[in-house]
Amino acid sequence: MPAKHISLYELNSLVSETLELTLNDSYWMVAELSEVRVAANGHCYVEFVEKNPKSNALVAKAHGNIWRNVYQLLAPYFRKTTGESLAPGMKVLVQVSVTFHELYGYSLNVTDIDPTYTMGEVARRRQEIIAQLTEDGVLTLNKELPLPRPLRRVAVISSSTAAGYGDFCNQLAQSGFPFETKLFQATMQGDRVEQSVIAALDAIAQEADNWDVVAIIRGGGAVSDLNGFETYLLAANVAQFPLPVLTGIGHERDDTVIDDVAHTRLKTPTAVAAFLIEARRGEVDLIDGIRQRLDRAARNELTLARRQLEQTATRFHLATTEYGNRQRAHLAQLQARTELFARQQLQAARFALNRYPDRLTEALTTRLMRERHRLELADRSIKLAGPERILNMGFSITLKDGKAVRDAALLKPGDRLTTRFAKGGAEVEVTSTSKP
Amino acid sequence: MPNKTDLTYEQAVKRLEAIVGDLEKGTSELGQLSSQIKEAQELLAFCQSKLLKVENDVKKLLDDGKE
Repeated sequence: MPAKHISLYELNSLVSETLELTLNDSYWMVAELSEVRVAANGHCYVEFVEKNPKSNALVAKAHGNIWRNVYQLLAPYFRKTTGESLAPGMKVLVQVSVTFHELYGYSLNVTDIDPTYTMGEVARRRQEIIAQLTEDGVLTLNKELPLPRPLRRVAVISSSTAAGYGDFCNQLAQSGFPFETKLFQATMQGDRVEQSVIAALDAIAQEADNWDVVAIIRGGGAVSDLNGFETYLLAANVAQFPLPVLTGIGHERDDTVIDDVAHTRLKTPTAVAAFLIEARRGEVDLIDGIRQRLDRAARNELTLARRQLEQTATRFHLATTEYGNRQRAHLAQLQARTELFARQQLQAARFALNRYPDRLTEALTTRLMRERHRLELADRSIKLAGPERILNMGFSITLKDGKAVRDAALLKPGDRLTTRFAKGGAEVEVTSTSKP
Repeated sequence: MPNKTDLTYEQAVKRLEAIVGDLEKGTSELGQLSSQIKEAQELLAFCQSKLLKVENDVKKLLDDGKE
């Protein structure tokens, strides 16, 4: 065992004295907060870290204290300037004094903070994300999506316990419009925001057909950490989401990179609800307007149609009267012609009939005369051919037994014959016959 | 000769025309002459009666139409 040795306390005291003698009272230091914890006694305990910008590996770490009296002044100042509270992941510029306590060891006591550095840091980081999204060609993709009409089905990403979500739902319900909403739970603060919101977006994408729009909302309560929203991955997810994304993430002054890439940036959940209601009202007004125009147009059409009908009715009346007159004239003409024709027909029939008696008489007379003439001719012929005329010419007829004798061969001597002359006759006896 | 009540005016005139035509041409038989004359007279009376009726009907109808 070496003869000269000191105790731990002595050593720690030595370190403490050395540090006090060699170091300045204070330093302005840039570091990232990896842990922030406000204790019940009002003191705020933090962890400062520094990472390798390329490998992200820790290269330095130190415990920090913001004593209650300092924290009570710094916290509101920081929040008022940046709109945010101290939170893990935040880069800060702080004034620290180095202390070494024999029992608690090395630590940094925060005496002041420069919020503008943090703001600049946030802005710088956001610029980087936006530059990357621009390079990827996705920065404005979500903004370019057309808003469906009407906006009715809203997929909400929020924390069910957030007051903002309750306000949002109440406002929609009170609007009287039949909105359909479904909450996709997500952690809305702290370092799990990115992973949690992306998971919710993925869940909505699975049933994208069921929704018109996505509302990412948080808010109400105390101003809290928005750092979780300032990530490239989340911004890229929102920018490329197939449905329009509405944001109502913070308060009036809050702004995140998500707001830059979302379809429509609204400041608060209430503003998102108001936007949806206004859009819906716009649709209703539009439809009302169309209905009124339709009503007017229909009324005009009816008036016009009625007028046309009246005109047509008048024309019809005139036309029927005129038609009636024309038809009457035509009928009168037809009647006259019928009458004339009938009279002509009857006259002709009468004339034809009247001719028959004369024709009959004439034909009869002619016929009778002809018959009479024929009879007279016959009579004359008979008379010409009669025996009287022959006897008168000097011929005589010899009869035997009352029959005229035409052949002497039929006689024999001694036959007694009767000879008739034109006047009178004689009884003769055959003495001889001769041959012709 | 067919029953006159079965005849139309046109048939009666046709028959009358045939009888008169035969008489005029001298083709009818003398023995049939008186019966033909008798038929012709009857046909003539039938036609005249028909014609008169039609004339009266027509006159009445025409007069009705004018009212």
